[in-house]
Amino acid sequence: MRLARLTALAACAAVVLSALAASSVTAAGTPQTFAYVTPTQVMIGWDPSSSYSNEIIAMSDMYETLTHYNPATKKAEPDLAQSFKSNKAATVWTFTLRHGVTFHTGRPLTAQAAKAAIERTIQLKQGAAYIWDPVKSISAPSTYTLVFHLKYPAPLDLNASADYAAYIFDTKAAPAGTSLAAWFAQGHDAGTGPYTVDYWHKGQEVELRLKQYPQYWRGWNGSHYQAIEYWVVPSVTTAAQLQRAGKVTFVERLNPQLWASFKSSSTVQTTAAPSWQNLLALLNTKSGPLADKTVRQAISYAVDYNGIIAALKGDSVRQIGVVPPGLWGHFDALPGQYDTNLAKATSLLKSAGYGPGGKKLSLVLTHVPGDSDEDLVSTLIKSELAPLNIDVQIESMAWPTQWAKAKSPNLSKRQDIFLFYWWPDYADPYSWFVNIFKSEKTPYYNLCYYSNSTLDKQMTQAEQLAATNRARATSLYKSMQAALLRDAPVIPLYVQQYQRTMQKGVSGYVDNPAYPNVVYVYDLKPAA
Amino acid sequence: MTPFLVRRTAHGLVVVAGVVILTFVIARVVPGDPASSWVGPHASAAQLRAARHTLGLDRPLPVQIWRYFRGVVTGDWGVAITTHRPVLSDLGTRAPASLELVGAALLLALAAGVPAGLLAARWRGAAPDLLVRLAAVFGVSMPSFWFALILQLVFFQRLHLLPVSGQYDPALDTTHPLSTHVHMPLVDSLVSGNWPVFTSALTHLVLPAIVVAAYPGGIIARMVRAAVLDTLGEDHVRMVRALGFAERTVFARYALKPALNPVVSVTALVFAYSLANTFLVEAIFDWGGLGSYAAAAIQSLDTPAIVGVTLFIALVYVAANLAVDIAQAALDPRIKLR
Repeated sequence: MRLARLTALAACAAVVLSALAASSVTAAGTPQTFAYVTPTQVMIGWDPSSSYSNEIIAMSDMYETLTHYNPATKKAEPDLAQSFKSNKAATVWTFTLRHGVTFHTGRPLTAQAAKAAIERTIQLKQGAAYIWDPVKSISAPSTYTLVFHLKYPAPLDLNASADYAAYIFDTKAAPAGTSLAAWFAQGHDAGTGPYTVDYWHKGQEVELRLKQYPQYWRGWNGSHYQAIEYWVVPSVTTAAQLQRAGKVTFVERLNPQLWASFKSSSTVQTTAAPSWQNLLALLNTKSGPLADKTVRQAISYAVDYNGIIAALKGDSVRQIGVVPPGLWGHFDALPGQYDTNLAKATSLLKSAGYGPGGKKLSLVLTHVPGDSDEDLVSTLIKSELAPLNIDVQIESMAWPTQWAKAKSPNLSKRQDIFLFYWWPDYADPYSWFVNIFKSEKTPYYNLCYYSNSTLDKQMTQAEQLAATNRARATSLYKSMQAALLRDAPVIPLYVQQYQRTMQKGVSGYVDNPAYPNVVYVYDLKPAA
Repeated sequence: MTPFLVRRTAHGLVVVAGVVILTFVIARVVPGDPASSWVGPHASAAQLRAARHTLGLDRPLPVQIWRYFRGVVTGDWGVAITTHRPVLSDLGTRAPASLELVGAALLLALAAGVPAGLLAARWRGAAPDLLVRLAAVFGVSMPSFWFALILQLVFFQRLHLLPVSGQYDPALDTTHPLSTHVHMPLVDSLVSGNWPVFTSALTHLVLPAIVVAAYPGGIIARMVRAAVLDTLGEDHVRMVRALGFAERTVFARYALKPALNPVVSVTALVFAYSLANTFLVEAIFDWGGLGSYAAAAIQSLDTPAIVGVTLFIALVYVAANLAVDIAQAALDPRIKLR
């Protein structure tokens, strides 16, 4: 009797729960909402002057910049500035702003407002504020004319298109008595972009929702998404299930296997495009066995580049030189580029006293944990070098620890191979050279400890030529990359490939590597 | 009882302070500069120096610890390096999510584990006993991430019965906005009478709660079984049986009550343990709780967040142990709180 009562109670509970559950499962978002899935917290910073993290994916739909980089033309094109020009020496840049643009606060975009925004970013000196380093002063001679006076020639059209620190915003957005930084931190925005904040639920699955800004300067004629939701979904399997069930529109990144599983889907489309983020193996040129150039060259020949690409199953493409494809300064072939050649590697090792039958070579490779691609590449490098009598000891550690080890004053404590990703903050190859290969007395990002005075001079030249004669700058970058190949302080392993999934029927999507993981939702046409 | 509470609270606070100092020292002894995570991947040396100063990392360790304790007392638990927000504010949103999940899971574990243990003890060696023991081993040994994936596959992908992730359906945010009181959607929606969110929150809780409940449920079932079998062999139970009491009364009144003492003790400990150890479940079900927060903090050597989570968990442990002592005294008249 008692058992029967319990069973009946359990059955009732199950029926109620099923009914509730069914109603919950079928309650999908509206088709006019673009649901973007990302694995990590979206809004780390809210301040457009200092933001320097994953918030780019949302900020780029709230804020705009003076110019915008087009990877197809490899040029910066007008955005909030309807035109721009420089003097011959590229030391004075004049931007003419669009008329009729308003901030989300309702105030109009003027040259004075843009000047105030950029000056605030420069003064705060946070995030990627260094992109404005060439600027000596800014003036606003008329309502829509913004003039930059530079300390030295620089491609300010490119700097102004940067993914961070180039946003134009209303510096008068905060109410009286509240600092602008504090106001931003509460989850407000003050941009000119097509979407503005609807709500921010920190720590929730749908962390952020943006809604249309009705007075957006490009207007809302035609078919556009009404809102954007940013879903934080750390597990790729859950992300895939949400995509499969039609609960979300776009998944930023899945693993290659899950991504491939959508290729035959009738409801989901897949896209793949190379990024500007490349994985570099920096070789210790200062101490340890890799201080010998011959050994570095041997390792460069021993790496199975195509094997790594194959193992990553479409997650990456081959990197020649250090400048990635799609960015000016990249070349599909370079003199002295390394292709896998074990015979040559063996011969070079032998001449240095190592290799099969010679002294055993022990190397320490460091990388950060949590990146399955780095895990796989480290293991592959270890197994590829083992037959050459090279023992690679893999040490996986948090970034602060990896970096501290690399900068250790005690040379014997430093690693031999340092794996890490690099990408530029604006469309200029200079970023790789000045950060990673410029001579440093105390290592900072030059963690191959490379020093080449000729290359140092060429970098400075190339930076200025980028503003005045980009063709010559491009040619200079070619010879600089060839020099790097000769000295082999770095093994460019691959360029990461973006693998996205998106609801079928959505059109207008372009993956712009200058703005990593950004979806310009205004440009999309929702599925019918 | 009051002197007991005061003494135990004082002891607890000493333990918490010790745990915090130890965590602080360990986190700072690990080589690496947490400021490098704060400034981002391409920051200049000047930005790094400024960040070290802002975060107080350029001060001697004892000064950092002293400032930390002073801050804790005044409600300033530092700023998290990974989220750039006050740790206390982060914990204010993360901890309720974990409390909701773990609380629901433990209720489920008790609701299933206690009757299952009794059932197994009542029919020792028979089919129900075998089934309960098998289920308990399954619950304890099944990796939580695997169990979670299986449940998602069955109940979301195949049966379309339960939601796959999140705390409630985000579409309701526009149609039935939830007013937040304690950052627990289930409680908040109940308090505000927001029934669509309440039903959604309830169904979203089912799968993660089952996964988290599997381990404590298995332990509780086995513990109840063993404790009840022990008690059944004792003199007072034999006497009750000899007096002709019904078997149901023997189990429910005379065997189960003394057997609950170790169960209460383990439940409290599992509760505190689960708060920060469900990060895999949280990751799979997109449950923004303490576990995923702590995991991210450890990866970037986020000392304020690591110490903040440790402090919170230590406080919960101390409170849970105190509650256990009081509960045991209430359950067992032989225990006196002095």
